[in-house]
Amino acid sequence: MRLKCQKTQRLLSDYIDETLSERQMKDVALHLDTCRTCKREVIDLKKTRHLLENFYVEPEASEAYYARFTKTLQQRIEQNPPTVHEQARGVGARLTWQLLARVRRYIDHCVPSRLITVRQKMLPYYALVATMMLLLVAPLILKQIPTGENGEYAFGHLKARLFSTSTPTLYQPAATLAIQQDQATAQPAEIRRNVSKSRTTETPTIDSGSDLWQFTDDPVAEGYILTTLRKNSKETLPRVALDIDSELLAYAELPSQAAPGQYPTDREVLTDGRYAVLLLQGIHSGQHALQQYKRKWSQFEGFSRQLLDVPLETLSITEVYDSMEL
Amino acid sequence: MERTEALLIADLCEGDETALAPLIEKYKRMVYRLATQITKNHADAEDVMQETFLKVYRSIRTFRKDAAFETWVYRIAVNEALNFVKRRDRRQEHTIETTAEAEFEADARYRAIHASDPHTHAEKAELRRYVTDAVNSLSLKHRTVVILHEFEGLTHAEIASILNCSEGTVRSRLHYARKKLRTLLKPYVDAGAI
Repeated sequence: MRLKCQKTQRLLSDYIDETLSERQMKDVALHLDTCRTCKREVIDLKKTRHLLENFYVEPEASEAYYARFTKTLQQRIEQNPPTVHEQARGVGARLTWQLLARVRRYIDHCVPSRLITVRQKMLPYYALVATMMLLLVAPLILKQIPTGENGEYAFGHLKARLFSTSTPTLYQPAATLAIQQDQATAQPAEIRRNVSKSRTTETPTIDSGSDLWQFTDDPVAEGYILTTLRKNSKETLPRVALDIDSELLAYAELPSQAAPGQYPTDREVLTDGRYAVLLLQGIHSGQHALQQYKRKWSQFEGFSRQLLDVPLETLSITEVYDSMEL
Repeated sequence: MERTEALLIADLCEGDETALAPLIEKYKRMVYRLATQITKNHADAEDVMQETFLKVYRSIRTFRKDAAFETWVYRIAVNEALNFVKRRDRRQEHTIETTAEAEFEADARYRAIHASDPHTHAEKAELRRYVTDAVNSLSLKHRTVVILHEFEGLTHAEIASILNCSEGTVRSRLHYARKKLRTLLKPYVDAGAI
């Protein structure tokens, strides 16, 4: 009897919700007919539920509160629009679910239901797991992609071209900017000899008389600026860099050796040879370009600090884009 | 013409920000209720609301069309609120009342109220406060299940989906939460103050 009561009492919560199976409902009802203790328990639980339903005060706020909340939220949304990565993730997830739904419909349509095993029904979920695994492994594989002789990413269509147009700078021998262009028709400019061309940790040889940054004179519609990351940095390459398909790719490196006092010593670490990419799509010319650049810059804390190691005036964005005739 | 919820979601996915306002309008009260009940704090609830709707806006593209949007919003709101409470408790080194302490406190409060005659003192307003306090004294897990089931009217399956646990776990938590509430509210239950 006691065991029966214990077992029944575990079911009483579901019994008053009427979420038990028909058979269980009958069993409990039969037990309640003979057990006053359990019946009392049921009555108490029902009374408790009644108290909650009738006397619990749900919180509510005024319309003014909601209006203020909505306004604040809109401001936050305007200040923090979804990043490219978030948008890409959303599109990827949506496409994945659409694909899985189609696969599932196809299986349901083609295979007679009696032949569909639990395993087959789980196929879309297996596919999802496989896709997720692939996404996890992809960055590791990309890291293993060898770089070309000129130090560019092995994106095939991107060719590194170095141009020797000089830009006024504050520091003497510091960095050299390389422009990579995939325009097959573009006239290759003179390649500077003092630029490290490999993505290794080897120290590049820099001509002490060279300028900090060199930019192309060719007009370029959009592009990316690539600069080295701090040595031993824990900052990772922004994923967006792996997805780029750009007409312009640029990178900068600083020498490890320089005469004392010519530039801050901590900028030496930029010769690590690891690259970071800054997205500069859709940038127009003039002052607006500079502001847009700064805004995008601030989105990537990891290497914006590294870019800060190279003074902005040295980067001379306005001048860059003027020279590029954007 | 008023857009349907499905259309609003589709528009929001396409980047139409004007579709967000009607969705906020529809779900703000629900999110506020949940956030306030779980955090037990009006100011904290606003933070949770902000984060919830920001997440809805930012993650709308990951929303599966074959799922219920309301359940999706519930899931985000509940998870944001639970995470907020956990962070807050860690940050403030919040003293978490043990169940026994909460029970004792509730019982003591009842005895104080009913020192003389429950029928003369237990006005409805007092009873409301008492019942609300009893729910608030439940542990975070039990409180969440009670709120979702008793007040939001969600099924066991929906709650299991929102909390990412099994239906059995939901049933178990609900069972123990009800037993606890029955103990806390026993004087009223016995006195028939309903």
